[in-house]
Amino acid sequence: MTRRPPSRGTPSPSTRPSTEGIAVSSHTPARNDEGATSRVRLAAVLVWGTLVTAVLAVVPLALRDRLPDPLAAHWSGGSTPDGHLSLTGDLLAGLLLWGVVWAALIGFALHRTVLSTRLGRAYWWGFFAGWPVFVLGVQGLTLFANLGVADWRRAVLPGWTVVVVIGSAGVAGVLAGLLGRGAPDKPREHPRPPSLRLRPGRRAVWVGRTVNPWLVGLSTVSLLGALVVGALGALGTLNAEALGIGLLVLVPVTLLGLGTASVGVRVDQEGLRVGFGPFGRPSRHTPIDQIESAWAERRTPAQVGGWGLRALPGTRGVTLMLRGGDCLVVRRVTGGEFAVSVDDAERGAALLNAYRAEAVS
Amino acid sequence: MLLTLDLNDSRPLHEQVAGTIRRAIADGSCRPGERLPPARELAAALGINANTVLRALRELRDEGLLEFRRGRGVSVLSRPDARAVLAEAARELLAEADRYGYGPEEVIHIIRELS
Repeated sequence: MTRRPPSRGTPSPSTRPSTEGIAVSSHTPARNDEGATSRVRLAAVLVWGTLVTAVLAVVPLALRDRLPDPLAAHWSGGSTPDGHLSLTGDLLAGLLLWGVVWAALIGFALHRTVLSTRLGRAYWWGFFAGWPVFVLGVQGLTLFANLGVADWRRAVLPGWTVVVVIGSAGVAGVLAGLLGRGAPDKPREHPRPPSLRLRPGRRAVWVGRTVNPWLVGLSTVSLLGALVVGALGALGTLNAEALGIGLLVLVPVTLLGLGTASVGVRVDQEGLRVGFGPFGRPSRHTPIDQIESAWAERRTPAQVGGWGLRALPGTRGVTLMLRGGDCLVVRRVTGGEFAVSVDDAERGAALLNAYRAEAVS
Repeated sequence: MLLTLDLNDSRPLHEQVAGTIRRAIADGSCRPGERLPPARELAAALGINANTVLRALRELRDEGLLEFRRGRGVSVLSRPDARAVLAEAARELLAEADRYGYGPEEVIHIIRELS
């Protein structure tokens, strides 16, 4: 009788019969040949951004002698101004308007994960080209209108010039986005769908839950607001109109926030059920015979187009994204895909595949 | 978390539920600090009464695996100790053996042969 030392400190109970055979999916690592491209991108945004910043700072200062003080800085509707700023204020406003976006562009260029998707690259290049056109255009128009005018009230700005600036910024952005977005995303390699062994006489279910803490926070704050408004209304401190408006805004925000802050995902013999909110209602059910296969995958909001229920054109896929990370993906027999962000998705997918195999045979 | 119930198991249902949740915590399906799905949801998924699930959750709390927090639901406090996990696995092994007509003595014999 020989005694072998245990190979691991903590024995993994997942090797027990009931859950054995869960294939671990491998996530493809980021490709390395993107390094050179990303350095070019970083250099481009640094040089281009410095140039834009310099123009935004130098041109107004150079024209200082021919501008009124304060400057006309705001026009609403008509061509006569209704707001003014000092030259310094206008200068800072322009720099801030550009600087925030520039910093974000640099950040994304350094961080790279956003730029690993085609959509991310399209947005990045769009803002890279379009935003400077917008900021320079707005500042240029302000200077142009004020140039040679003695008093800011006389600075005239025809409305169509604003339309031209916004339009050309949009065109520049879209063009740059189309040119810079690069190759379509490689179709994700689907690992062998995980599965597990079902044993007769056993009922197996998988339950997962995702909560978006931001939405929980938002609805909590909104709920408190509604309570405060309600209490003030009850005390008679608030007039009826303010009370009505307050509740009209806060109550729907609270309900919507709570209803969408969490999803519950359930896999059982019947298929996949995704329920919203604390009561799991409304819910969406995909019958087991409608499911072709299931797997787990890492997805980020940048990949799927944002948070919430997201569908990207040309993919036939819908993602319910509450947070980046582990997602349970289901392909329907009709060809569509549905994904929901949820922890421990691997086991859920494995159970779905097992029930699927059972339903087929 | 993956939960399984043995329909032929003669143990009380709440014990089985506690067992399967203990196993889910042990295999890392639910890590310490994470919140469990609401008892109502677990009960609906398993097709049993919510009170049965609550009883199981209370048992696990008394074992020190779970923590009940008012307004924040039930969260995992710590992993079960090795003995509890092994006992659960052994119970399953015995059930499986029983299906093939093997008694505990024969299972012990097989284990002896292996070690």
